[in-house]
Amino acid sequence: MDLSLSAEDIAFRDEVRRFLASNVPDAMRRAHDLTTSFLDDPAISIHFHRALDRRGWSVPHWPVEHGGTAWTPVQHYIFDVECGRAGAPVYNSSGSHFVGPVIMHYGTAEQKAKYLPRIRSGEDHWAQGYSEPGSGSDLASLKTRADSDGDDYIVNGQKIWTTHAHKSNRIFALVRTSREGKRQAGITFLLMDLDRPGITVRPIIGNGGDHEFNEVFFDNVRTPKSGRVGEENHGWEIAKYLLEFERGGSVIAGRVRAQFAKLVRMVGARCPGDPGVLARMAEIGTDLDAMEMLGLTVLSELQTGGHPGPISSLLKLRWSEIRQSICELALDAIGDDALRWIGERPLYENLQLPQEDEETLAVTLRYLNSRAYTIMGGTSEIQTNILAKTLVGL
Amino acid sequence: MNLQFDSEHVMLRDSAEKLLASRFDFRAFQKLIDGEPGWTPELWTIFAELGWLGLPFAEEDGGSGGGATEISILMEAFGKYLVVEPYLATVVLGGGLIAALGSATERKALLEPVIAGRSRLAFAHDDADAPTTAVRRAGGYAITGAKKVVLGAPMAETLLVSARLDGTVGVFVVPSDAPGVIVRPYRMVNGERAADVDLTGVTLPARALLGGNEDAGSAIELVIHRAIAALSADAIGAIATMVRATVDYAKTRVQFGQPLASFQALQHRLVAMKVKEEEARASSRLATLALDGPPDRRLRAIAGAKAKIGRCARAVHQEAIQLHGAIGTTNELSLGAYAKRLVAYEIKFGTTREHLARYGAMIARPELAAEGLLSAAG
Repeated sequence: MDLSLSAEDIAFRDEVRRFLASNVPDAMRRAHDLTTSFLDDPAISIHFHRALDRRGWSVPHWPVEHGGTAWTPVQHYIFDVECGRAGAPVYNSSGSHFVGPVIMHYGTAEQKAKYLPRIRSGEDHWAQGYSEPGSGSDLASLKTRADSDGDDYIVNGQKIWTTHAHKSNRIFALVRTSREGKRQAGITFLLMDLDRPGITVRPIIGNGGDHEFNEVFFDNVRTPKSGRVGEENHGWEIAKYLLEFERGGSVIAGRVRAQFAKLVRMVGARCPGDPGVLARMAEIGTDLDAMEMLGLTVLSELQTGGHPGPISSLLKLRWSEIRQSICELALDAIGDDALRWIGERPLYENLQLPQEDEETLAVTLRYLNSRAYTIMGGTSEIQTNILAKTLVGL
Repeated sequence: MNLQFDSEHVMLRDSAEKLLASRFDFRAFQKLIDGEPGWTPELWTIFAELGWLGLPFAEEDGGSGGGATEISILMEAFGKYLVVEPYLATVVLGGGLIAALGSATERKALLEPVIAGRSRLAFAHDDADAPTTAVRRAGGYAITGAKKVVLGAPMAETLLVSARLDGTVGVFVVPSDAPGVIVRPYRMVNGERAADVDLTGVTLPARALLGGNEDAGSAIELVIHRAIAALSADAIGAIATMVRATVDYAKTRVQFGQPLASFQALQHRLVAMKVKEEEARASSRLATLALDGPPDRRLRAIAGAKAKIGRCARAVHQEAIQLHGAIGTTNELSLGAYAKRLVAYEIKFGTTREHLARYGAMIARPELAAEGLLSAAG
């Protein structure tokens, strides 16, 4: 057993560093540093996505035939750590991590040819139409309906918490195509264009002032059946397949470590020698180390063909909590500087202050935004229910 | 990077499991720790026969060249089965110091009886009040000082005593019955034996200084780090056992007509315990694998793991008792013995709070805070 990088790994790391040095300019890094949302502004991240695409790295985890890289799990880890360290933007993963793998696994040849290249290039931006006003954690209770009409469906209903719907051109949605039998048995997985007549997107502004989420209304929206993935009424299996990716698919240790390093600098500057703050910072660091180690253990199993299993829910649960604790301690470390509110977004366009002052102004906003981490992508309570079954065997 | 057991690791784990599971008897354990001598010499002989007492030593010294991972596998089993024999004191600490500092002749002479199971070692390091000092005399040294909590000292024939020489520190090989040595043994909270050791003008020949090395500070630090990593694996054995016992209890204990495990409020607490076990296990493995890495990463991993596992250990033993209800507070169940083992874990080699502060001081350097866990070899 060992924790060492091989000579090939080091060479790869240096290659990634060179790429990032020339493709994450200071302005992009600053925009990322001043982003209080969990996602960067697509106006910024698209430039990074295109650079990745030119390098063949925009969908590294995909099969090579669809433009993936065939990296080893350790290479994925290195890439993640280096992106975090370089302050590279986090781009919306709905396409590359969620619907992309679904299309690869369940889609027709036409769907693959139509959608996958445009996800890879960044041309398409996907929104996820899962939650509804009356169905949050209880997803199978969804009511948005798609009625058959020749080669089309007529969609009526409402989705909510639709991340970046206002910046997306397409949406994948779970819709009800039958009310017979079990609730899960009447659900269909449908791909739609967001510019269809009858679709209305209404913003939901978060506590922290960020516009990430939306309501999406469907009023007699006509959309072709060619956008259906898999069989009619068989969407639940696909939905669950996707959730596995959402909960455990991506490695985020490198991103969180970069946030933590920022916190350490901030604490060092703002409250050096405060034993209470230092003890909390150290606790967060040890939590982070343990979770990174757990993630690496999963990687090591993946390298030899294993499966992450129930650990993916554990990773989602604890990473979201650790990220929150970083945001929370930053809030507690800056004293009354945390009182100032900046309403305009994006911050990178609306601030012009020395770096340290700008980062201070983002702290309260980021803290407020972070409270969503343990809710989105399956609440902590749902993850805990899952772990009770899968990890503890209750 | 590779974080999976190979077939030899699995064999070692299975053989430890087989031996210790077959002998485990909680009533016998209680009798053992309440009586004298407080350990089982016969079990020690079996350890020797299985090669465990020579596990980490080089083959030319009569050992089998095992590493920290092998030690951690044994220690986890010791934690699981409440082993109180002085393995950590003799093999990891005492043997570790001889292996690190001793000359070839000393290693052979001192390790051979240890590996054969004929004699045991203890490392007398923590000073009770003032630092223990070694004063040079014609042909040797005189050592004076008072050592606290010397693990395994009551059963050790040989003490390894750290003592200050002008500004540096050396390790001296001292027979525990040497004139001027007083060993005051006691039982610890977890049933293990330790002693306070007084040294009053103990006269030693020059060759008593291990390796002739008057500057053993960094070797001592590394050996203590090895002991912390090993002890952390022991704690994992105890934590995992408490979690399993609590889950099993919740599944079988019926209240209001249904098992405790059917209540969601309790299910979530059981999950929280299991999550802490997983995190603690990952920290323990990090500490184990960092031992052979660069010193600053080693210190970060050791202090971090001791603090993290200490917190998990406390949360798990408290929840295990709470979820067992009244019976969990008694010594009717082995649960209490595991709780006491974890209390001892938290305190030995520096408390959770001390290690957290040490870790915090390391991590306050942003360049170290930004470093991931994987690094270039060597």
